[in-house]
Amino acid sequence: MLWFLARRLAAAALLLLLVLSAVFFLLHAAPGDPADLLIEERLTRAERERLRALWGLDRPPAEQYAAWLAAVALRGDWGTSLLHRRPVRQVVAEALPGTLLLAGAAFLVDAVVGLALGVTAARRRGRAADHLIRAGSLLLFSLPSFWLGLMAILLFSHVWPVLPAGHLRSVGAEALPAPGRLLDLARHLVLPSLVLGLWLAGATARFVRNGLLEVLGQDYVRTARSLGVSERRVLWVHALRNAAVPVVQILAVTLPGLLSGSLVTEVVFSLPGVGRTLFDAVLTRDYPLVLGVTAFSAAVVIAGNLAADLAHGALDPKVRDA
Amino acid sequence: MRTAGFRTPPRLLPAALAGCALVGAALAAAGGRPREDAAAEAPARQGPERPVRGGTAVIGSNADISGVNELVVPATLPTDEVLFRIFQHLVEEQGDFDERPPTFEPQLAEAWEFSPDRKTLTFRLRRGAVWSDGVPITAEDVRWTWQAQTHPDVGWTDASAKERITDVQVLDPHTVRFHFREAYGKQLLDANEGVILPKHAWSALPFAEWPKSADWFREHLVTSGPFLLASWKPQQELVLARNPRYYDPRLPYLDRVVLRVVPEQSALLTMLRNGEVDFLSGNVSPADVPAVRADPDLQLIAYWFKLTVFVAWNNEDPRFADREVRRALTMAIDRQTIVDSLWGELARVGSSPILANIWAHHPRLRPLPYDPQEARRILAARGWRDTNGDGLLDRGGQPFAFELTTNTGNQQRADATVMIQEQLRRVGIQAEPRVLEFHTLVEQLDDGTFDAMVTGIGLDTSLDFTSFLHSRSVGDGNNFPRYRNPEMDLLLEEIQRAPDILQARGKLHRLQEIVARDQPVSFLWESQRIHGANRRLRDVQSNILFSLFDLEEWWMAPAR
Repeated sequence: MLWFLARRLAAAALLLLLVLSAVFFLLHAAPGDPADLLIEERLTRAERERLRALWGLDRPPAEQYAAWLAAVALRGDWGTSLLHRRPVRQVVAEALPGTLLLAGAAFLVDAVVGLALGVTAARRRGRAADHLIRAGSLLLFSLPSFWLGLMAILLFSHVWPVLPAGHLRSVGAEALPAPGRLLDLARHLVLPSLVLGLWLAGATARFVRNGLLEVLGQDYVRTARSLGVSERRVLWVHALRNAAVPVVQILAVTLPGLLSGSLVTEVVFSLPGVGRTLFDAVLTRDYPLVLGVTAFSAAVVIAGNLAADLAHGALDPKVRDA
Repeated sequence: MRTAGFRTPPRLLPAALAGCALVGAALAAAGGRPREDAAAEAPARQGPERPVRGGTAVIGSNADISGVNELVVPATLPTDEVLFRIFQHLVEEQGDFDERPPTFEPQLAEAWEFSPDRKTLTFRLRRGAVWSDGVPITAEDVRWTWQAQTHPDVGWTDASAKERITDVQVLDPHTVRFHFREAYGKQLLDANEGVILPKHAWSALPFAEWPKSADWFREHLVTSGPFLLASWKPQQELVLARNPRYYDPRLPYLDRVVLRVVPEQSALLTMLRNGEVDFLSGNVSPADVPAVRADPDLQLIAYWFKLTVFVAWNNEDPRFADREVRRALTMAIDRQTIVDSLWGELARVGSSPILANIWAHHPRLRPLPYDPQEARRILAARGWRDTNGDGLLDRGGQPFAFELTTNTGNQQRADATVMIQEQLRRVGIQAEPRVLEFHTLVEQLDDGTFDAMVTGIGLDTSLDFTSFLHSRSVGDGNNFPRYRNPEMDLLLEEIQRAPDILQARGKLHRLQEIVARDQPVSFLWESQRIHGANRRLRDVQSNILFSLFDLEEWWMAPAR
């Protein structure tokens, strides 16, 4: 088991390094230069060169990359954001709570709705409800989440103005008592978490349905039924618990979707977060910040996969020994 | 005032997104004052109402400020808009540069005077002005600010404004003298560039540390303007509150101004319409204007601006090197139809780099007529004929075909390329529209590897066109068309040397005549700046320079 763990960790570290190297060199290969993009007026060549030298961008990319990697590995120093002129670690740390809040709320929506739809579809396999849910979930997952977001804003903030069009707080909400503040926050979270969560729930529902159908067809379920165990108990206790193993693995698959989906959702709903930080950083070619956010996102995704691998490995010796 | 404006800020979602989001033009620069033009709209008439103190105004902006120390953070328009309300300049440039050369009102300096040879400029500072921590603002602050602005370690992007200032001398705590290498037209503008910074608070940090210490300045923030920065949550909102130590105790009228960052254009408009924000700065697209006009709670504030949009022909390309060909191209483009369909009455056809609302605009200049017949005739005389009957003009076996590029995130420009394609096809020219990501576009502009491009520039208030039209600005400045003309170079240098731009009016007219003759670019449109505001918001003084100009005099009428 230890050997398995060590191998997986080493592979994860290597993967992270590969991702970062690819991002670094692709970003440098893309046209554009922070010296041009950060400033809204045009600089002369001399001024641009002066700034590039000040920011260390006049050195060859390989040298910049080596220096960056060494600083991260040896001192844990992620560099200074060119856009914000603050340590990258701080910028990312500040953006994190917003993303966690959105991702958490969206995941809740995803889990509840996805599970409910998946189970319903599996129970009514082949019937109208099943077809409806399958078509609906496919539609949900195929819709671009930014479009879904804009439509939600149009409907619930404009046509029928019951919810705010963005942000996490109302102006002046800090003066409210604690329950009022919480309610205000919840109101602001409804649209973005529904948009992101429902988009993901489309995929989850299909996963749950297929996993459940596979389990429901197995011998032990038939045995349980033949022993007179109630259908409810068969489904929720016996079948779903076994179907849960692949569903837990979906979680690891959902993580990248959750992160990339939150980027778009954060922009559409003006929410603070890692996604928007990355969006701005890429547009302004803020190299250190792009690398910092990418490293963070890649680490989260890789860690999620690693955890799923480990869980799977612990459950299934065939995987562990392979 | 150095003004931005040759591009849209890279803050909109990418093209695919922008299209669906009905994103309109995102102009890059600041506001202008409501004028009497027939098509311009003034804010709701206030009548004899007296300003009311108190209240909160919420401003929606598509970008956040980048930091509190303008010397080290990227110079973006939202940053300037906010920093100029919490920090002060020596004098305040007024937004009337369309009517006359820039004028100034006292800010930290209450009087200023040139020496007879104009090589020194002396400011007398306001007595009684203090920093937000109560420490008096003195001439030492002014001198130290200049030292910070010009220090190489600080890396201020606007440091070139101080190139011709040789010293800043403290005569007494309230008198400071700027020494110049020579006399020239922009001396006061250059001396005044940049806000005055608190020496007593910020000199503790060595200049070498400045570029990576944006947080330090925020933690040690001491300001001088009518507003204080009460709080700032990056990417979310910042709150300005009344500065009780501001030298004019009447102002500001508003207790608080909240700036909310909303990157998505259509969400911003929804927020204005459902009352979540009170003011939308320059972000109303022409397509949204009817909705704002129809809303009884909203007012539209629109006025002629300083941005001119054109097709830049690559003058180095043999196809576009001949000015007669460029004239023919201009005449083959039906600019009025483009303006009518994209902007309605909110724009007009351009004819000159000095926009029609600016005092130095040539009064007899008219756009070249739309005349495809004449265009065909000129092109034929220059050897462009359809010899093989394929419907396309050709010369030396080469068809007249080229790429017409523009940047992503600007729907009007993208639409214009398609309309131009259709119009040029009628005279036998094939223009292939191409929308490029902004960075790729900049690279093509620098290297001269484009054919023709729909782009624009923002007018500099000093009417210095060196960066746009001088041959030395080819590939190094805003000379996008790569236009070279020794006569123009000389003229530009003469205009720049004139001690008073008013005396250069004749030369500025000559400049426009040359541009009209040579057609280095085909001017498409000059558009209005369009803000949306809640009707309760009064005395909004947005002008060509800033949307939030005189924010301290805005006030909120009580709800009825």
